[in-house]
Amino acid sequence: MAELSPTPRKKQDSIPFWRDGRVIGVFGQIIFVIFVLLGMAWLLGNVSDNIGELGSFRCPDGTESFSCGFNFLGIDAQFDIAESVIAYDPSDSYARAMTVGALNTLKVSVFGIFFATILGTFTGIARLSNNWLVSNIAKWYVDFFRNTPLLLQLFFIYFGVILLFPGIREAVQPLGLPVYLSQRGINLPGLSFLPSSRILFLFLFAALVTVVIIWVLLGMREQRLGKSINRVLWCGLAFVVVMGTGWFVATAVPSSQAIMVSSSLPVSSFEDIPGVVAERLGVSDLAMVETAVADGSLEAAAVNDAALTICVVKGGAPETNLANQLIAANVPYDVDRSDRIDQALRAFEKGECELIVGRSSVLTTYQATLENSSQSSIVSIDEMPIRVSIPRIEGLNFQGGIKMTPSFAAILIGLVLYTGAFIAEIVRAGMQSVPKGQTEAARALGLSEGQRLRLIILPQAMRVIIPPLTSQYLNLAKNSSLAIAVGFADMWAISYTTLNQSGRAVQVFLIVMASYLTLSLIISFLLNWYNRRISLVER
Amino acid sequence: MTVQQQNLPSSKPEEHHIHFDMRRFVREHILRSWLLAVWLVVLTYITAVITWGQLQSATVVTAVVILIWAVTLIMTVYNELRHKHNPMTLWLKANLYSSITNVLLTLLLTLLIFAGIRSFFDYAFTRANFSPIPEVSDAWEASYAETGQEPGANWGAVIDNMRNMLVFRYPQEESWRLYAVLGYLGVMLLASTVVYSQERFRRSRLRRAMNILWVLTPIITFGLLLGVAVQPELVMETLITSVVSIAVLGGLFFFTKWVTTQYPVAWLGLVMGLIWVAMLAGALYLIVGNFSVKLNPDQAWGGLLLTMIIAVFAIVASFPLGVLLALGRRSHIRGVPAWLTYGSTALLTLYFLVTSTLPGLQDPANLFAIILALWPLAIPVAAYLFQKYFKGNVVAAFCTVYIEVIRGVPLITVLFMSIILFPILLPKGTEVLSTWRVMVAAAMFASAYLAENVRGGLQAIPRGQYEAAESIGLSTVQKYRLIVLPQAIRVVIPAIVGQFIGLFKDTTLIAIVGLVEFLGVANLISAQTDWLGVRREPYIFLMLIYFAGSWVMAASSRRMEKQMGVGER
Repeated sequence: MAELSPTPRKKQDSIPFWRDGRVIGVFGQIIFVIFVLLGMAWLLGNVSDNIGELGSFRCPDGTESFSCGFNFLGIDAQFDIAESVIAYDPSDSYARAMTVGALNTLKVSVFGIFFATILGTFTGIARLSNNWLVSNIAKWYVDFFRNTPLLLQLFFIYFGVILLFPGIREAVQPLGLPVYLSQRGINLPGLSFLPSSRILFLFLFAALVTVVIIWVLLGMREQRLGKSINRVLWCGLAFVVVMGTGWFVATAVPSSQAIMVSSSLPVSSFEDIPGVVAERLGVSDLAMVETAVADGSLEAAAVNDAALTICVVKGGAPETNLANQLIAANVPYDVDRSDRIDQALRAFEKGECELIVGRSSVLTTYQATLENSSQSSIVSIDEMPIRVSIPRIEGLNFQGGIKMTPSFAAILIGLVLYTGAFIAEIVRAGMQSVPKGQTEAARALGLSEGQRLRLIILPQAMRVIIPPLTSQYLNLAKNSSLAIAVGFADMWAISYTTLNQSGRAVQVFLIVMASYLTLSLIISFLLNWYNRRISLVER
Repeated sequence: MTVQQQNLPSSKPEEHHIHFDMRRFVREHILRSWLLAVWLVVLTYITAVITWGQLQSATVVTAVVILIWAVTLIMTVYNELRHKHNPMTLWLKANLYSSITNVLLTLLLTLLIFAGIRSFFDYAFTRANFSPIPEVSDAWEASYAETGQEPGANWGAVIDNMRNMLVFRYPQEESWRLYAVLGYLGVMLLASTVVYSQERFRRSRLRRAMNILWVLTPIITFGLLLGVAVQPELVMETLITSVVSIAVLGGLFFFTKWVTTQYPVAWLGLVMGLIWVAMLAGALYLIVGNFSVKLNPDQAWGGLLLTMIIAVFAIVASFPLGVLLALGRRSHIRGVPAWLTYGSTALLTLYFLVTSTLPGLQDPANLFAIILALWPLAIPVAAYLFQKYFKGNVVAAFCTVYIEVIRGVPLITVLFMSIILFPILLPKGTEVLSTWRVMVAAAMFASAYLAENVRGGLQAIPRGQYEAAESIGLSTVQKYRLIVLPQAIRVVIPAIVGQFIGLFKDTTLIAIVGLVEFLGVANLISAQTDWLGVRREPYIFLMLIYFAGSWVMAASSRRMEKQMGVGER
């Protein structure tokens, strides 16, 4: 028995310090840190050696300091950027240029994620279709886009498709829709919001609040009565009612839009305009002009001469408002665009156009400044809160609607198609991960197809879908840096130009890496938060 | 069509007469909900429009398709109604004609697929040019310009540039090296399929020799492709050095064996190891010094060859690095104690506050400058995060930061960094060829992703395996080498193959940083005077190659998975 009892520990029995895991661990780490620090010191030494020549850390007083490295951000960028979310001019600073780039990356990422999710979801569901053809087409789409390089697809879309579109005059209209495909990119119809749309937005907010309240109240009622209520129907009805009222109110308020007409155009209300133009053309009804031009009884040049000339401020909603009404009345018109209202007014004063359109309050104040203010009169025109602005070929450009430049269209379409293929696989895997018994149980409970999808399948599939979906979104955001290949001015493209112009390689790389890491962190933070909300709470 | 009744067993054979309730059918399949009815109307309209259009543009094919569709549909319906299917109609019923929507969709999609195939066939064959001779191609283009028709694909550009696409400017007279590499790899692959698949070679010398050959393969191929050769005047010297080295090393081998068996002491083993390292390095130095490189990879390598070299190098080189990073990230060694961390950071922060912040705040230009000057305040924050998330484990922190930073930025920035930033990071005057820089960047990039894959594999190993290894007295190195890593890597093989496919596709990005790889050559073709503006055709060719390559790799990975029994046990 005595042998079994543990012998008292002697001093020499304790583990010597060179074999003690704790000591070895700390010691090894210290050596590791020293190596890392030495390596970094070596690199930094090389950097300061090399950079001394480049002068990219030079302070205004001529000394070299790392703290002066970012002063270049205040210098004028002096390069132009083709498209920008915020106002930008070559005389703006590098910091502003890089902000433009960051916003462009954000724009591509947000739109890309949105459309790729839609495409991926549809394709993923199509993969599970019980129609053999549908599921196989989806499969081939997924296989093809997943197995070829994204950059190659981008090049093909940009150089092989979009740049080979016909010129602007022969722009393709797929299926006769108001969508124009041309070398200048893709032009889509857009919306213009007139001042009275603010009322509509207030009502939209009210409608959303109402819907939420009704949804919750009906849910409580459902539980109390133990009866199923068609909540979607009631909420939809409430939404339509509130929005309808909103539309009614917004159109009923006095119009803020007006035209200022020179005395050469004898009109006292908008309704007179078609008559005046028809008289100029010598036709009784403007609706006949198009057929008359087609059968040759009226010359196109004559129509152009008789067309109404309008002065507007570039990109303004008043133009869309007036243009829609003129188009509805079949009045031919020409538009003379200026950057600011005073320029437009000067053009009007010089007689370059017969009328100028804008807010009535603005026009009234400006009318007083005109030399011969009695020569012009202000006529109020109708206003709709929201007008659809359809792209229209004018000269060598499209006016109105949404413009997608070839570069933006290429990078967006490329990213959406590529990422959509990956998302489709994720969605398919997620849907398939829900056991069949769940579907059967839902049916046995008597849930409708919509309820089955919303309450049983999706919540369970989402748990499987969200984590890989997060990494796909991150990939999309990172892949947007390939925009440089198709000439879209994203974060990286502008940083690269900045780098080449300013020579501040180290700083630019630091900024770029920090920006992309921030973007990645934001996306993964949002989706992780969502994932935590829906994930299964275990034990 | 699909009355929801099962095929009743043939207990009542007389019930094979047709029974069809029109009202019930309409109620169940058309008017079930107003949404379905509207959808069916829309779908019917679209199908009718498309069919009409196709009938006009390709009458015969469309008519045949419609005929086949109608006949099979009628057969299926007939068999369904009399509850007696043959295998074909059963399949058709389940896969193509299961509902009215599917019946219409089937016709619509078949017609659209045929239209797509027809227009692609037209573009790629009927109206295409296959002659690599520029004159013929010009004449072909002119003939289409005369008729005003759109010309098809100009495959001549691809055929003419085939060598450029595959190897770009690899010297013509050195082509034998490429064939030698191909032949070597072919023989190795063939031999491997025999040696590795058969049980009788399991522990044989042949198999061990194959292993060694495979390990040496990257070096051999690199040597061949770079044109490594002995300088002609040094051939004799090299031979003598090699023979002497081998003799000395052989002697050393037996000496080591004798010493270690006679005196099994730990420190002696260490000394012998050091001697080995020194001798090997000396021998290599003596031999390698006599070799010279014939080709400059920046100029000689290009096209698909460069793509393959970079992809293979990146994945091979990233493997050890990735495993180390994964192990580092998961390491549980006791961290630096908190007092040490906070003490040293406090000192550092104070030092930088005095030396950097104070001068910076003297005359700040704007708010940004003030924020920039306060950077030392980030040190304690970093120290806090380091203690909180890594418990003072420096190795884990370093590996995690490396992995996450590389994974958080796009590959293209890493590649540009290798082109622009590497020269700044290296000592003045060092020149490294772009090819090497890009290869290192690709390997660094790949290692971060591989580390995450391997980490996944390590996490999949049950704790019991670690504990069992420890309980039989294996050291840490033995535990990982013999127990953990073999299992972990087997688990992650599919992921690694997937990553390799990704890398194979991602190498296209080096076309942007100025090396002329596969896609780079395709871009250059459109600038050739003979093939001005020809862009689509090379891209289509590339897509086919990439698709085939990725597809083959994915398929072989699936086969390998099955062979190795991943997912079993």
